[in-house]
Amino acid sequence: PLGPANSLPLPRSFLLKSSEQVRKIQAQGAMLQEKLCATYKLCHPEELALLGHSLGIPRAPLSSCSSQALQLTGCLSQLHRGLFLYQGLLQALAGTSPELSPTLDMLQLDVANFATTVWQQMEDLEVAPAVQPTQSTMPTFTSDFQRRAGGVLVTSHLQSFLGLAYRVLRYLAEP
Amino acid sequence: KCGHIRISAPIVHLGGPVTASCTISQNCSHLDLEPQILWRLGEEPEQPGDRQQRLPDGTQESTITLLHFNHTQAFLFCCLQWGNRPQILDQAELRAGYPPTVPSNLSCIMNLTTNSLTCQWDPGPDTHLPTNFTLKSFKSRGDCQTQEDSILDCVPENGQSYCSIPRKHLLLYQNMVIWVQAENALGTRQSTQLCLDPMDVVKLEPPTLWTLDPSSQASPPHPGCLWLGWEPWKPSVFMNQECELRHQPQRGGASWVQVAPLPSSAYQYELCGFPPATVYTLQMRCIRSPLPGHWSSWSPSLELRTTE
Repeated sequence: PLGPANSLPLPRSFLLKSSEQVRKIQAQGAMLQEKLCATYKLCHPEELALLGHSLGIPRAPLSSCSSQALQLTGCLSQLHRGLFLYQGLLQALAGTSPELSPTLDMLQLDVANFATTVWQQMEDLEVAPAVQPTQSTMPTFTSDFQRRAGGVLVTSHLQSFLGLAYRVLRYLAEP
Repeated sequence: KCGHIRISAPIVHLGGPVTASCTISQNCSHLDLEPQILWRLGEEPEQPGDRQQRLPDGTQESTITLLHFNHTQAFLFCCLQWGNRPQILDQAELRAGYPPTVPSNLSCIMNLTTNSLTCQWDPGPDTHLPTNFTLKSFKSRGDCQTQEDSILDCVPENGQSYCSIPRKHLLLYQNMVIWVQAENALGTRQSTQLCLDPMDVVKLEPPTLWTLDPSSQASPPHPGCLWLGWEPWKPSVFMNQECELRHQPQRGGASWVQVAPLPSSAYQYELCGFPPATVYTLQMRCIRSPLPGHWSSWSPSLELRTTE
C-alpha cells in the first residue's frame, strides 16, 4: 500500500487523462518491444544489462512516488524529469531502422506529450521549477546493434517507470 | 504600344461597378487626329466610353464605368474605329465574385489509426473566385484563453473542405484552438474557434462481438439465454470505455432493446430472459468514459440463437 499523499489537490481530469496516457504509452512501448523481438530477436532486456551499463543508459528514479512516503510535489517533479529523460533517450535512438521508426516516433511523441501534461499540472499547482529541465548527455550508440539493444533497454526501463507511475495515479484517483 | 487599358481592379464584387480607361498614344501614326475609342465587353457590341478627352501630352483617353458588372469573368476590349472594322488595341480580363462567407459547422475527429486530427467545415456558397481555405490552430491549455506554440497551417488538398493535422504537430491531452480561414481577392473570413483536446474527439470503431458455445461453458446453460463475448477496437484498448448492447428478434420486426452500461470487454457474457430457440440480432457500440469522446457506430450484427 502507498503511503499518505500530502495535501496537493490533483484534479480528477488530470488523473484520468494521465492514467490513459500511461496506458497509451505502455501499449505503444509494448508494440516497439514486440517489433524489436520479432525483427532482431532481441527479446530479453536482462540479456543486455552489461551492454546497458557500458553504454551508460540511465534509469529515471521515482523514489518520491514510492509506497513508503509518497511526496506529491517531488513525485510529480520526478515523473516529469523521468519522462523528459526517456523522451531524450528515445530521440537518441532515432534512425534505428525504417521498420521501427514509425513506432519509435509515435512513442517519443506520446512520452513528450505526457511530460507536457505533467509539467502544465505542476504549473497550475504552482510547484513547477522556474525553468524546464535541460536534457542530460545522452548515451552514444555507435552501431545499429547498439541502437537496437538500446531500444530494448530504454523501452524496458520506460515500462517499469510507467508501471510505478500508473500505480501512483490509480492510488491518487481512488475516491 | 498603341492602346493601353487601366482598370479600377482586376477583381470586383459581382454586380458592382468597374471603371476602366484606355489611352491611345500619339505615335499610333496611321490614325486620324481625333480617333473615336470604343469599348467591347465580351461578345457584346462596341460602345463609346462615358467620356473621351485629349490629354496635354496629346494622347486620347476614354473612360467608361460599367455600373453593374454581372459576369464572373469577361474580357474588356479597347477598340478604335479604323476603316469599316473596329480594331482591338488592348484587352483586360475582368473577374467578379463574392468575398468568402464565414466557414461554418467546423468539427474535428481524432483518428487513432492514422493518429491525425481531421477537421471538416462547410465552405459556404460559391464565390466564383479562387478561394483558399486554411485550417489554423495553436496549442493552448485550460479554457483556451492563452496562446502557446502555434501549429503549422493545414492547407487542404485541391478545394477539399477538410484537412488533417499530423500527429507530430499535435499535443495530446492538452487543449488546442482550431479555426478555418477563408480568403480570396475580395476578403478574408474566419470561422468561430473550437477549443478541444484531440483525445476528447476520438472517433472509436465498434467493438468486436463473437459467439460463445453454450455447451462449452462450465455450468449447464439456462434456457432462453444468449452467450457472447466482445472486446474493444484494438487501437483504443488503452482507453477506459463504456458500451451498450442492443438486440431484437431476427423476425417479427420488434424494435431494438438496449442493455447498458456494459464494460468495454467481456469474454463470457450471458443474456437471459428470452424465449428459447429464437434467433436474435445483436449489435454493440462503445464510447470513451468517463473522459469525453464520441460513440462508435454500431458494430456489425451478430446473429445468435437462444438456448433450448
